[in-house]
Amino acid sequence: MFRLLEESGFSRVRSAVVPRFRFRKASTQASAEAFGVKAVMMTALKPAAS
Amino acid sequence: MTEPTDISASLEGVLKDEILRMYQEVADNSRSEFHFFHGREAAELFEYAPEWLDRAPAGAVDSFAGVGNPHLRSNLQPGETVLDLGSGAGLDSIIASWQIGPTGAVIGLDLNASMCRKAEANAAATGARMECRTGAMESIPVPDSAVDVVLSNGVINLSFRKRRVMEELFRVLKPGGRLSITDIVSAKQLSQSIVNDPKLWAS
Repeated sequence: MFRLLEESGFSRVRSAVVPRFRFRKASTQASAEAFGVKAVMMTALKPAAS
Repeated sequence: MTEPTDISASLEGVLKDEILRMYQEVADNSRSEFHFFHGREAAELFEYAPEWLDRAPAGAVDSFAGVGNPHLRSNLQPGETVLDLGSGAGLDSIIASWQIGPTGAVIGLDLNASMCRKAEANAAATGARMECRTGAMESIPVPDSAVDVVLSNGVINLSFRKRRVMEELFRVLKPGGRLSITDIVSAKQLSQSIVNDPKLWAS
């Protein structure tokens, strides 16, 4: 998603992991961790000159 | 623009139906237990201000199904126009409306027309101003360069055409506009069995 934002023309793309995100069910959480699934906060800017 | 093939378009249609079903279920049965946290429990987990949650209508708080808190970095200013992509029952729109004040505007977008009406009713109940439009994030019913800020919470990951969504977000933002989103990402390529299973994809 970070790359897609940059490729779409956004600048100053920033991301950080949502620290307390997790799935309620342990089995879902385990599957998510196996795939490297996480929640992220992202900000980006549409350049003023665009 | 990349258009979906017949097969992916068919799968996308099934997926859309499953997304509508799942989030309608959250709204209709907020006391049920889902595999994700929802309602006030989730909002508190993501550090939504307690005074926001006390002030917002229960119907908006109970149906909250976000994955983080896009307000932490949105830096909304009075008078701004905000698009809430995937506005659901309206909690993020309502909070945004409080921050931008009477001179600003919040446009919600949701696939589900009845959810849009619910969000507008929830907003009106607190004096918040919000107009919700029914539509898809791959084809946002908003003119070019119309909004200052896009908020989104756990929605873009549901799209089969994320590049198209990003292009749409870029289109609707004014030059100098910004987005603040929270969403789910995966470090690994999802298996085809997950991609082909609407229930797993929608979750």
